[in-house]
Amino acid sequence: MATNPGWLQQRIPISPEQLREFTNEPVPNHLKRWWFALGGTPALLFMGQIITGILLAMYYQPSMLTAYESVRQITEDVSFGWYIRGLHKWGATLMIAAVILHQMRVFFTGAYRAPRELNWVIGMGLLICTLLTGFTGYSLVYEQLSYWGATVGANIADNVPVVGSLLKQLLLAGEVYNEHTLSRFYIIHAAVLPVLIILLVALHITMIRLQGVTEFRFEDEPEDKPRSFNFFPDHLYTELIIGLSLLVILTTLAVAVPAHLGPPADPLSTPEIIKPEWFFYVAFRWLKLFPGTAAVLSMGLVVVVMFAWPWIDGAIRRRQPSSELSVWFGIIAVLAIIGLTVWEAVVAH
Amino acid sequence: MTLTVKRNIITLLAMVFLASLLMVQYLEVARKQEEAGLRAHHIAVPSSSKNCVDCHKNVSPGIIDHWTGSKHAISGVSCVECHQAASDDVDAFEHYGATIAAIVTPMDCAKCHQDVYEEFSASHHAKGGNILASLDNLLAETVEGARVPFNPHAATPGRPDFDSKMVDGMTFAAVGCKQCHGSKVGLQTKDGGIVTVEELKPDASGKPTNLAILASIAKDKDGRPILDPSTWPNTGIGRINLDGSLGSCSACHSRHDFSPRRARQPENCGKCHLGPDHPQKEIFDESKHGIAYYDLKDHMNLDADSWILGKDYSQAPTCATCHMSANIRGGKITHDPGQRISWTNRPPVSLAMDTDADHKIVTETDPDKRREQITDTWEQKRNRMKQVCSTCHTTAYVNNFYVQYDNFIQTYNEKYGKPGTSIMKALKDNGLLTKADFDETVEWTWYYLWHHEGRRARHGASMMAPDYAHWHGTFEVAERWYTEFIPEVRHLIEDARKAGKVAEANACSQVVEEIMNRPEHKWQVNPDGFGAKAPEFPIRTASAGSN
Repeated sequence: MATNPGWLQQRIPISPEQLREFTNEPVPNHLKRWWFALGGTPALLFMGQIITGILLAMYYQPSMLTAYESVRQITEDVSFGWYIRGLHKWGATLMIAAVILHQMRVFFTGAYRAPRELNWVIGMGLLICTLLTGFTGYSLVYEQLSYWGATVGANIADNVPVVGSLLKQLLLAGEVYNEHTLSRFYIIHAAVLPVLIILLVALHITMIRLQGVTEFRFEDEPEDKPRSFNFFPDHLYTELIIGLSLLVILTTLAVAVPAHLGPPADPLSTPEIIKPEWFFYVAFRWLKLFPGTAAVLSMGLVVVVMFAWPWIDGAIRRRQPSSELSVWFGIIAVLAIIGLTVWEAVVAH
Repeated sequence: MTLTVKRNIITLLAMVFLASLLMVQYLEVARKQEEAGLRAHHIAVPSSSKNCVDCHKNVSPGIIDHWTGSKHAISGVSCVECHQAASDDVDAFEHYGATIAAIVTPMDCAKCHQDVYEEFSASHHAKGGNILASLDNLLAETVEGARVPFNPHAATPGRPDFDSKMVDGMTFAAVGCKQCHGSKVGLQTKDGGIVTVEELKPDASGKPTNLAILASIAKDKDGRPILDPSTWPNTGIGRINLDGSLGSCSACHSRHDFSPRRARQPENCGKCHLGPDHPQKEIFDESKHGIAYYDLKDHMNLDADSWILGKDYSQAPTCATCHMSANIRGGKITHDPGQRISWTNRPPVSLAMDTDADHKIVTETDPDKRREQITDTWEQKRNRMKQVCSTCHTTAYVNNFYVQYDNFIQTYNEKYGKPGTSIMKALKDNGLLTKADFDETVEWTWYYLWHHEGRRARHGASMMAPDYAHWHGTFEVAERWYTEFIPEVRHLIEDARKAGKVAEANACSQVVEEIMNRPEHKWQVNPDGFGAKAPEFPIRTASAGSN
């Protein structure tokens, strides 16, 4: 009987006390501040993406002949299909924005420093997986821009020295966009990357639990104030409020700015303006500023530096213990990202 | 650096990031809405036309608004690009620093659309102005109106200016026929005459070679050549332009937005293809094609760039779908609708659409000579149309449709078209009719029979419209034939005989009675011979009649 605790406890041998202890990990006080709760935001959004993604997958058909029509069907014919698609589309945008904001917070507060270097690397992996999920999802619509975006993306990959050709082939399932490309994108988008993200998130949280959350104490905080609070229910309430707020924001966006469909993909006609999704504007503008291989290599170098930043920063701080170089470096990097993104957004070509 | 400072840095950067994200999302959403046709494209007015746009925004905002919604505007093609003229063009004038012409001809459009220009120029559409010398125009200019200006015979209260002005009897043609078929554009001369392409004798580039006549052209106070109001405004599809080019692209594409969407819709063709003699628009409306179109037009991607049947849409066809647009069977877009028409149902007797190198219908009857003249056969044209049909229909369906259509045309031709033509020729050759057309009842009767009802029937059959094929078609043809045409012809013959023209009357009577004694007309005198059982004719079948 489900109501018999003895029966349940026999089968799930965890006592309520153990459960409370497990969940009631003391959470540092600074997490009461909203901007420190940005790690949970992408996780909540990711859960939303999984749910809406499963619903969309019930109608989506990944082939060149059916993809566009199935998205049109979802958008126009299926009950609340437009809403689910809107949630999924805007959820992706907010998730990427939240990951970037979280990473900014971690970077500027130096939370990546020893012994948490590996967790920064996991975070970088999550960022790349998130961006790739966005890219492959955008391509699934099979409208003109998503087709040409994928083609341009593959051509960019082709510019990587030595492995470029292989990367392009792996991405497109051949030399050019073909009948296998969409199904490959679909598997990567709906199975490979989500599983990878779940594993990385699990690893990310495990590391946090093992190492504890980085503790910060503000200068104006009284010394005798308790330095932590309970995860359950206090922090859970915070996350719940964030989750509900996100649902309101997403619903507003899905209703006010619904996901539209552009013209269907036409491999014979190149659109006048090709642009990727906004989160690749930085790379796209960079590629327009510099010649092919140089741009790809320099972008690759930026990614390597980002992965290795905890050790680079460590080396700097060993030589100059009070250096705030990373903060200035971060300010320049963030402004550069914003600048390149806005630049790409405002120009026609 | 304290944690508070860092917090402030993060807050500031996050705010800038979120603000830029909002802006980028706004721009991206706007761009997608433009692509989906839900928002007007952002237009950057090219410097070449900035002054024009600024001024005309106030002077004639409709023009600018239409242009703003056009593909031209998105592509940077603006006022000057289309209206620009050379100073030696006959209709050129200076307009606030630019040399322009009011009329944009197909030759102007050819600067960017050379292929379309060549296809269109070869089409019957472009030659629509030839109507100006036909029987139809005789009706409007002479029978309905007057070919000569005449004095007003009575005062028009409130319009004293009318009393001193000659009545322009050609206006019925100007406002009627020529608005569809096209006018021969004319410029007024200082002495009240008109200069047209015939006097200007333009060369291949459209420049007048008869320079002597240029000095005679009248200009207004701003130096603008005065266009003759009986010939302009005009967007007739066969307009004969001052530069020698034929036609008007705006006949279908409507200035100044040149919307492909509009040109793809049957209502657009219906400006001209409707009415008693060629009601193609109404015929389409009652056909299964038309019914499907009105039900499903919202799903037909009418704004698509390529608009390929079978790829971009397949819900229903429009006029443009079958006669002009591309399809996945290999049919490429053409601006010559005649390329897919295998019968011409315009004349009293339908003709197979074999055409020569000049795209003229071959009328030669000797088989060998005919073969030499033909460059594009009716079968090639039909096969092009079948490519369209087979996007949605089976081969057997399409072939059987053509069997029905061919049989219909042949029955009309043999029972009414050719016999009626023979009878009218016999009456004229034997002097039973005067030389003037439309001065005798039987001429009106015969005109109604072939030009209105006969054409209607044949067009109805060509586009699967049963009511036009039958009740507005062959029923009225038969009624006119048996109750008006033949009795009137017999009366004429009887009157001629009484007037002493016995030989002539006998010759005509022989033609008429030979026709009326043919099996297809004999039902009147031998009603029992038909009706109980259909006679077995060696009629055409799909396997024999179609490829």
